Amino acid sequence: MAEAILDTSREARAGSSRPAAVIRARGLSKTFGGGRIVALKEADFEVRRGEFISLVGPSGCGKSTLLRIVAGLLDHSGGTLELHGSPVTGPRNDVAMMFQKPTLLPWRTAVENVLLPAEIAGKVGPAERKRALDLLGMTGLREFAFSFPSQLSGGMQQRVALARLLQTGADLLMLDEPFGALDEFTREHLNVELARITQEVGATVLFVTHNIGEAIFLADRVFVMTPRPGQIAKIIDVPLPRPRDPSIQVTPEFNALVAQVRSTLGGH
Amino acid sequence: MTDVVDLAPVQAGASRERSWLNHAAIFLGLMLLWEGSSHLGWLDPLFFPRPSDILVGFWRLYITQGNIWGHLGLTMAEVLAGFAAGSLLGIALALVVGMSDRIRRYMKPYVVVLEATPRIAIGPVIIAAFGFGWTSKVVIVMLVCFFAPFVNTLNGMVNADRDQLEMMRSMGASKWQVFCKLMLPDAMPEIMGGLRLAMASALGGALVAEFIASNAGMGLLINQYTGVLNMASAFVCVLTLTGLGFAIMWAMEAVDRRIVFWNDRESTAEVSKRLALAWAHRNGDLA
Repeated sequence: MAEAILDTSREARAGSSRPAAVIRARGLSKTFGGGRIVALKEADFEVRRGEFISLVGPSGCGKSTLLRIVAGLLDHSGGTLELHGSPVTGPRNDVAMMFQKPTLLPWRTAVENVLLPAEIAGKVGPAERKRALDLLGMTGLREFAFSFPSQLSGGMQQRVALARLLQTGADLLMLDEPFGALDEFTREHLNVELARITQEVGATVLFVTHNIGEAIFLADRVFVMTPRPGQIAKIIDVPLPRPRDPSIQVTPEFNALVAQVRSTLGGH
Repeated sequence: MTDVVDLAPVQAGASRERSWLNHAAIFLGLMLLWEGSSHLGWLDPLFFPRPSDILVGFWRLYITQGNIWGHLGLTMAEVLAGFAAGSLLGIALALVVGMSDRIRRYMKPYVVVLEATPRIAIGPVIIAAFGFGWTSKVVIVMLVCFFAPFVNTLNGMVNADRDQLEMMRSMGASKWQVFCKLMLPDAMPEIMGGLRLAMASALGGALVAEFIASNAGMGLLINQYTGVLNMASAFVCVLTLTGLGFAIMWAMEAVDRRIVFWNDRESTAEVSKRLALAWAHRNGDLA
């Protein structure tokens, strides 16, 4: 399934028990206003293929900045950043981004919105159309393929955005609080779906949130970020088994992790 | 007030029929009052022709003399040609100007000055330059129709959603793709609003231009009839223009609903259904 959905053939899979790092940052930093405002201070990290990383922290901690730099939407001011071994110079087709707002085009049906990345790449054929419908099926919206965004609920709109994200074929997915504007129940439901889908397609994910529980529930590792200056204060491993059921959020192991994140954030 | 609103849907069918009858009755009553007061000498039929005279006038202008057709056709042609030329020019110029902040900055003073100038004041100048015929009228309608589409298109272009722009950029869209797939459709509701405003003033512009000086058209016809105090015929012309105004408004609304369908719940549902069928037809095996 992973091979069918995403092009992960860029690197050799055979002969390596530990997946290679697909994102490599060394001293990555971003300043605004001629160096006066430090939005991100010297981030060092590696992300392995298929990993789910949550970036959690209060506003102003640089988590969205970090995400936009990896997505190529922002230049970095210092350090190095490599994706699949090549430096980032702008938006590229192995990285895709999803926003808090669904950012669907209201004059396009769900399936037409999902096809947008293919259109921009200049290739829309029967194969792409079929895949768009398949992806809508995967996000549970097959029968709403021809509905317009205004006919869909907020949660359904984000599912369309998720299908569009996967249609890009990118294997590095940058998610900027994608369900932050939805109600608690819809959000929890979509988080479970997101975990299932990203695992199914073998994507590597950076997920920004300010909700500690959500961050831990989804992640293999949590990057805890603190503001002034924005930096990665601590990286916490989440050794909980997958697939995870929402009920793990009341286990002692889970609560210990929450406490660990809180104490890191509280120190600042 | 609220209970009236609450009851409305339940009695919609019956009450709509009744209100139609009421409207017809009131209208007929007013006409009879008008006719009667003219016969009784309360209204001077020289300036306020009787409804019966106006009806006879319709028959005369449209059937027996048939002289209104040519003038009506000419005025409509002026309106359509001037509207098409003016709004296309306005939209095209706005698209060019909207592309660059610098052009927009340098253009702005001229736009402000031109916008402050009453377009109709240039009317006599245009007629002096282009003559009494239809050319000068088309140019005047063009001027009248230029601004609303220009300003609205420019606004629509500048107001594109920041997140959507970023989304397009993250997919590696070129400037041209961003324009075609995001900016232009996004500006469409505003552009259509501009076109509706332009169309609403186009007919008035053509008539005033014909009042100033012309050798044909509805404006000339009204001038001629009032000049010889043939008020019944003048009223026929005015009522004809009322009808034309309605037709134009109705047509623009229909076009608007078709183009900017996503702002209208019913049209959206309709288009959704149509697209589903079209898709199933094209890729029978997929859908």
